[in-house]
Amino acid sequence: MLSMLAMCAMATIGITIGIIVMLVTQSWHFFNSEYVSVTEFLTGTRWTALQSKNIEDADFGIWPLLSGTFRVTAIAMLIALPSGLITAVYLSEFATKKVRAVLKPTLEIIAGIPTVVLGYFAVLVIGPSLQWMTDGGFDAFNATSAGIAVGILCLPMVCSLSEDALHAVPRALREGAYGLGCTPFETSVKVVIPAALSGIVSAFLLAFSRAIGETMVVALAAGTQATYTIDPRTQSQTMTGFIVEMIKSENEYGTVQYFSLYGVAITLFVITFAMTLIGQLVRRRYRESYA
Amino acid sequence: MNIESTTPVAPNDSESQRPVPEAIRQGASATTESTQNSQRRIRRSKTFYGICVSVSFLSIVVLAVLLISIAVQGRSRLTPTLLTGAHSTSEPASSGMYPAIIGSLSICAVCALSALPLGIGTAIFLEEFQPTNPWLRRLHGFLNLNISNLAGVPSIVYGLLGLSLFVFMFNAFGQIKVNESSGTELMGVERYYQILTLAGGGDSVLVRQTDLALPTITITEPIEAVDRDGNTFRLEVWDPKSGTPKPKDPATQHRTVRLGQSGGAYAKTSWYYFRLPFGRSFLAAGLTLSLVILPIVIIAAQEALRSVSPSLREASYGLGATKWQTVRNVSLPAAIPGIMTGAILAMGRAIGEAAPILVVLGATVAKNSGPQNLMDTVVTMPVLIFHWAGDPQVTYQQLAAAAIIVLLLVLLLMNSLAIYLRQKIRVE
Repeated sequence: MLSMLAMCAMATIGITIGIIVMLVTQSWHFFNSEYVSVTEFLTGTRWTALQSKNIEDADFGIWPLLSGTFRVTAIAMLIALPSGLITAVYLSEFATKKVRAVLKPTLEIIAGIPTVVLGYFAVLVIGPSLQWMTDGGFDAFNATSAGIAVGILCLPMVCSLSEDALHAVPRALREGAYGLGCTPFETSVKVVIPAALSGIVSAFLLAFSRAIGETMVVALAAGTQATYTIDPRTQSQTMTGFIVEMIKSENEYGTVQYFSLYGVAITLFVITFAMTLIGQLVRRRYRESYA
Repeated sequence: MNIESTTPVAPNDSESQRPVPEAIRQGASATTESTQNSQRRIRRSKTFYGICVSVSFLSIVVLAVLLISIAVQGRSRLTPTLLTGAHSTSEPASSGMYPAIIGSLSICAVCALSALPLGIGTAIFLEEFQPTNPWLRRLHGFLNLNISNLAGVPSIVYGLLGLSLFVFMFNAFGQIKVNESSGTELMGVERYYQILTLAGGGDSVLVRQTDLALPTITITEPIEAVDRDGNTFRLEVWDPKSGTPKPKDPATQHRTVRLGQSGGAYAKTSWYYFRLPFGRSFLAAGLTLSLVILPIVIIAAQEALRSVSPSLREASYGLGATKWQTVRNVSLPAAIPGIMTGAILAMGRAIGEAAPILVVLGATVAKNSGPQNLMDTVVTMPVLIFHWAGDPQVTYQQLAAAAIIVLLLVLLLMNSLAIYLRQKIRVE
């Protein structure tokens, strides 16, 4: 019986190995193709895997997709990190029981909303309101509306992870600060947050990795053109958005264009895996122990 | 703000400024400075508090805007047709999501059956059987780290894993092709040729297929056949050129075919139809989703087991119970409410997840029933919503909003079930 349980646990390692084997073997078909060079893939600024029917004309440079991903992610983080942290401070330091009873379920509901719903919300409400506010300065599909929706999606995660970290700070530290005459603001910002910093940094990293891997919102709201700019008003296909478009397209399994999605997927996996790993290690390594 | 340089001011718990003590009132210049200083600090603190409150309540506003806008957009399409119909390209107005609701719920069942035992088993192993050997401890830590990393892998990558692992099985069993007997079929399928009889009007009989390589058959001599009800009989052949009159009796007509009549392949599948690899099927999609939610289930179950008070376990050991008896009779029952809550939250995540299913099954939504067998294709609610929301037609846009309302209601129902179960178990 114990060996069965051990096998369950080992299956989780099997999944990790399976993901790595799958990505490496499938993307090998892509990187090994005569039309693709690894240097071009890592430095190129044109990505036309879907647009060019003829394989000779196709450009496989990852930077447009990376820039799209980072535009969306940066906007999402600009929204989710400050507001998530402030909400967490409010919940853990100031909120009364009544306020908590309203705020916590709200955040849980937002966390439970399927991502495709937020994508639809971005297309239905956020995109048109941005266009209305700027008199059409934004494209119909743009990085900003997708980024705002992804930010909403990451907010509960940042908030609950940071709140856990703030909760772990012992009361004595706060009382010490108040005893020295600190205002509530000074206590929170100069004592409690630094004491919980490792947990907060790890929450930020995990949210970052979640935003990079987010798929349905960007597939609906960020557009289908891979653009290499820093302008958040334009269409911006992300790595995940490209994978979805390729799956939806008519490209047959076996063509270089089709296998290019595995090249993108392995890039995505390496980035998110590194982020999550650093996030976990930061949390374990630098956790302040107050036992 | 440097704490040491400030003059002693009473703690501002109550946020009301207290009178400055007499001793400080002596030095005139210091007095005004310190009063101004503390007033500025209190102002800053109040501003901060204001920011906290407004930012926190922003999330409530966002949720309200989201729900209201979707309700307004989808209101006109919340009709009975939405719940009974299927997706239709010719008549958008009569489209519905019945196959998607059934599909989502059945995929969720596959997920629960595969992810829950595996996840809870792993959690028990990691929490209850903590090793003392330093090497095993290291492995233990690695397992925990690996699980938290798996929780951070984007769901679309799991979709690609499912595509290779379940849909194609790394091509180890041959490739799946359309309209051909494919892969290695294990059970639940009977292959026939379908042949038109003399009775006309599309009436046909079935002849068992022996050689899977031949897609058609031509009847030249009497042969064993099966009718729709599964009865075996001898199929007669009528040759129009031989001069014998065409049989008139309908019963005979049903059992006779024209000489040289050909028939195409026909597969009769039971619900347990099983083949390797799974192909773009309901089972493959369910198993892929179970990979996505497995880390969530494990982490929730681990937390539930960790929160069981150690004194309960120690009491059990003290009474002479073995490790297993303690796990089965003490730790697990105490942790069940937490495990259930985590499990249902994970199921909610599975129902709402679209990206892995999109990768595994492709973006097709043309299906007018739930899955008929384990290898059937399936439509789920999020994929249908994605399809409708991406369509420029206004009707589909409204349908997407209405479908979102249904999806959110299903999720709400599941979450209330979770709360109800938790209460019920806790009372007992």
